[in-house]
Amino acid sequence: MIDGAAVHVPALFYIFAGLALFYFLYNFRRAFAARIGRPETRRIRPWEVITNALYYGVAQRKVTSRHFGYASLMHLLLAWGFMELLFATSVDFLVERGLFLELLPRKDTPWFAALNELGGLALLLGSLLALARRHTSARPAALPHNSFAGRGSLLGDSGILIVLILLVVGGFLAESARLSIEAPAAAWASFVAYAVSLTLSSQTWQSLQPWLWWSHAALALGLIALLPQTKLFHSIIGIVNVALTNRAEHGMLRPMNIAAHMENPDAAPDDLVLGVGQVEDFTTKQLLDAEACTECARCTSVCPAHAVGSPLSPMKIVLAMRHNLYAQTMGDRVAAPLIGELISTEELWACTTCRACMEECPVIIDHIPAIIDMRRFLVLSEGQPPRDAATSLEKTTQQGNPWGFPRDNRLKWALDAGLDVPVMADKREVDVLYWVGCAGAYDPRNQEVARAMVAIFQAANVDFAVLGTEERCTGDSARRMGEEYVYETLANQNIATLANYRFNRIVTTCPHCLQTLGRDYRQLGTTWQVTHHSDYIQELIDQGRLVLDGQLTGTVTYHDACYLGRHNGIYESPRNVVARTLGPEGKLVEMPLSRSQSFCCGAGGGNMWYEVSKGERINLNRFDQAVATGAQTVVTACSFCMIMMDDARKVRGEEERVQVKDIAELIADSLA
Amino acid sequence: MNICVLLKQVPDQGSVFTIDSDETWVQEDNLVFTTNESDNYALEEALLMKASKGGEVVVCTLGPDRASQTLKDALAKGADRALFLRDDAFDRLDSLGAARAFAAALRDDSFDLILCGLQADDTGEGQLGPMLAEQLSLPHVTLVVQTELLDGCIKIKQELEGGWFRHLEADLPALLTIQSGINKPRYASLKGIMAMKRKEIKQVSAADLSLTTGDLTPHQILKRLYVPAKTKETQFLEGSPDEVVAQLVEKLANEAKVL
Ligand code: SF4
Ligand code: SF4
Ligand code: SF4
Repeated sequence: MIDGAAVHVPALFYIFAGLALFYFLYNFRRAFAARIGRPETRRIRPWEVITNALYYGVAQRKVTSRHFGYASLMHLLLAWGFMELLFATSVDFLVERGLFLELLPRKDTPWFAALNELGGLALLLGSLLALARRHTSARPAALPHNSFAGRGSLLGDSGILIVLILLVVGGFLAESARLSIEAPAAAWASFVAYAVSLTLSSQTWQSLQPWLWWSHAALALGLIALLPQTKLFHSIIGIVNVALTNRAEHGMLRPMNIAAHMENPDAAPDDLVLGVGQVEDFTTKQLLDAEACTECARCTSVCPAHAVGSPLSPMKIVLAMRHNLYAQTMGDRVAAPLIGELISTEELWACTTCRACMEECPVIIDHIPAIIDMRRFLVLSEGQPPRDAATSLEKTTQQGNPWGFPRDNRLKWALDAGLDVPVMADKREVDVLYWVGCAGAYDPRNQEVARAMVAIFQAANVDFAVLGTEERCTGDSARRMGEEYVYETLANQNIATLANYRFNRIVTTCPHCLQTLGRDYRQLGTTWQVTHHSDYIQELIDQGRLVLDGQLTGTVTYHDACYLGRHNGIYESPRNVVARTLGPEGKLVEMPLSRSQSFCCGAGGGNMWYEVSKGERINLNRFDQAVATGAQTVVTACSFCMIMMDDARKVRGEEERVQVKDIAELIADSLA
Repeated sequence: MNICVLLKQVPDQGSVFTIDSDETWVQEDNLVFTTNESDNYALEEALLMKASKGGEVVVCTLGPDRASQTLKDALAKGADRALFLRDDAFDRLDSLGAARAFAAALRDDSFDLILCGLQADDTGEGQLGPMLAEQLSLPHVTLVVQTELLDGCIKIKQELEGGWFRHLEADLPALLTIQSGINKPRYASLKGIMAMKRKEIKQVSAADLSLTTGDLTPHQILKRLYVPAKTKETQFLEGSPDEVVAQLVEKLANEAKVL
């Protein structure tokens, strides 16, 4: 918005502009720092690049969040104000050079003038809101930085905001001067600048004008020159990053094809890169992610591990990646080692892979795969999982379940209860293959869920069977602990077992099994349809195959499992199913953190099997949230959530007053 | 510092056990096998010594074909090479026979230290280590809970009964049997597993070791293996409180033998 000059711009300006542009380009080379990464395997589709840029960039769809109302409004004002002024400046630039004149509006075209005023006001207001947020809120750890040093970027947050404010104010003043001097017919349309122009005489404006024009120009050129070194760089690199996102694979762990390496006789183990031990082991897109981080701290402020006092901060992880990347490529700093120094192993192991950070990140950063890639290095390359994790991995390899219960007892949950559950080895062909999972098979509380599920299948006359002793752990925990070799081995065993049978689909009561069987295994070539029991029960109800007489009383609350909700987008069917089990006296209430904002139970990402994190246990925190609604029944739809909530119930001494139930149990209890 | 670690493959304790029809062993078809627990600690102790003093760690086992997995796991964790005593003649050896076989295999290698686990989880005898030491004329210490290598000798903390410990020093070469818990056994990394594929597992037979049938004939024969039958018997004691107490004390002392 270098507006206002007379018809011709002084030559000196072009010299400064050239210098500013040169300095901008010189520092812009950091955008290409990500090239030191490994080649990205995720595909980039041209059409998606365009839709991403429009949807997440221009329309700011990831910036608006229910969690951050104030910040969303603030950023919309800033971003749209910025975009509008960029547009206005470009139009002026073209018009002044006599280009596209028949298409473009003039400075004093009333609608265009008014729009530009709005753009300026939006930017001004957004900057003031941002400045206020940085200096008044009482939550410093969860908020972006408020110093002039920033997080290692020039000017910091406040510095850049003050420059923006001066720029807008200067723009308005320069425009006021122009209006006063040129007195165009539609001056009123520039409503702010016009009002300001009336405060001084035309002569005064005339004498002020060169000062105003040059100071505004200097500030604008300075900002352009410095942009790549400041936080504002995200306005460019952030849009590039969201545009290049493969949305279908966002959040998925990249396959490693370990079997291929194992079979290759020439593979030299020492040359193999297993996981990420150094920043250049990340893929180029992962490094671009790190470059794009806006330092907004949204991820950290919703991270459940962070909330209970663990040292994990997803933003810190991303910034550590960037710090190390720039240190190596831009030579500004000495590169401290990525793992061990910049990022502690304790931070890496504290992540529950709950996806809360990714849900809130405005520039679609892929935190979980980055964290798991570093765990892969610790496990596959260094052989250093936490001790208890190692035990569960060894047990999984031996007995096919992380508890290490006897492989041959996998059907005991049914046999001991005298249930007649058909097995695939006898039936060979069924409509529904019921995947019981390790928790359903061995954990006493989840065994009850499995038995309830059998009651539901029988009530609805479903042609189903289980694998029984042929079933193995799906490898969810192993994979998320970074043990891709154990995961791949288990996956290939399960795939080979299932290849012997025919079924229309797999139904599972565990969202972790849903994730592995339904999505992770696809990377190994499967095409099965895998359905979570919440969706399946809903289908049975819709088809009239279950006759229900719901009599559940009291207050009921539903806990969204991360792998059901955020990872697989299933929010409504569990609620609909619960609603069908309520009697006239029962009511379903929501916790403040629900649906996509749900707070993890603490068991995901392998955390079921080890404890590293200092601070309070996540499941107690979540259980307290559930009880705070006044609920007597806490409903889950996930095997691990069940264990975590039931455990918290006991620790909190709430066994008398509160019950934890799976949706399948509620339905089984409601069968007419 | 050259160290040999003896390993044994045993059924995983989480398995479901069924006794064989001839009542001398368990059915093996459905069992999951793993490395004996205290042997893992012995291996880790050797790997730690190697890390501080250099040298070579050789692992050695005796067993059927499946036992090679135990050697592979140890190689994946960082052992340098493996010796596999494999021969049908080695089936169902007693501890003395096994000790003779190991002695024949290890005699010519000059190891500074031989480590084994305290006892095998399947037979629970704890005999092999001391017997092997005798065969090789080495000093030995059992139930080792701490070690410290010095020049030409090793300082040892040995666990005794009832919470007592004893501190000893042994000249090298020596044989130690290691108690579980002495260290934290490592996890085999994938890198280690891949490196394992290039390491040597040398298989030796009874003939290679010039062992005769006489050397291997068991002196100890397992007669019958069974699950102890649980019985429950209720007795009512009658009389005055004093008489009942007297009878109870007598029964606890003489029948239940708990006093
Ligand atoms: S996935 Fe969850 S636990 Fe892990 S860093 Fe993100 S918010 Fe934190
Ligand atoms: S990673 Fe995303 S959510 Fe976290 S600070 Fe960076 S931009 Fe914000
Ligand atoms: S156990 Fe449930 S809440 Fe916890 S991580 Fe898994 S899905 Fe999320």
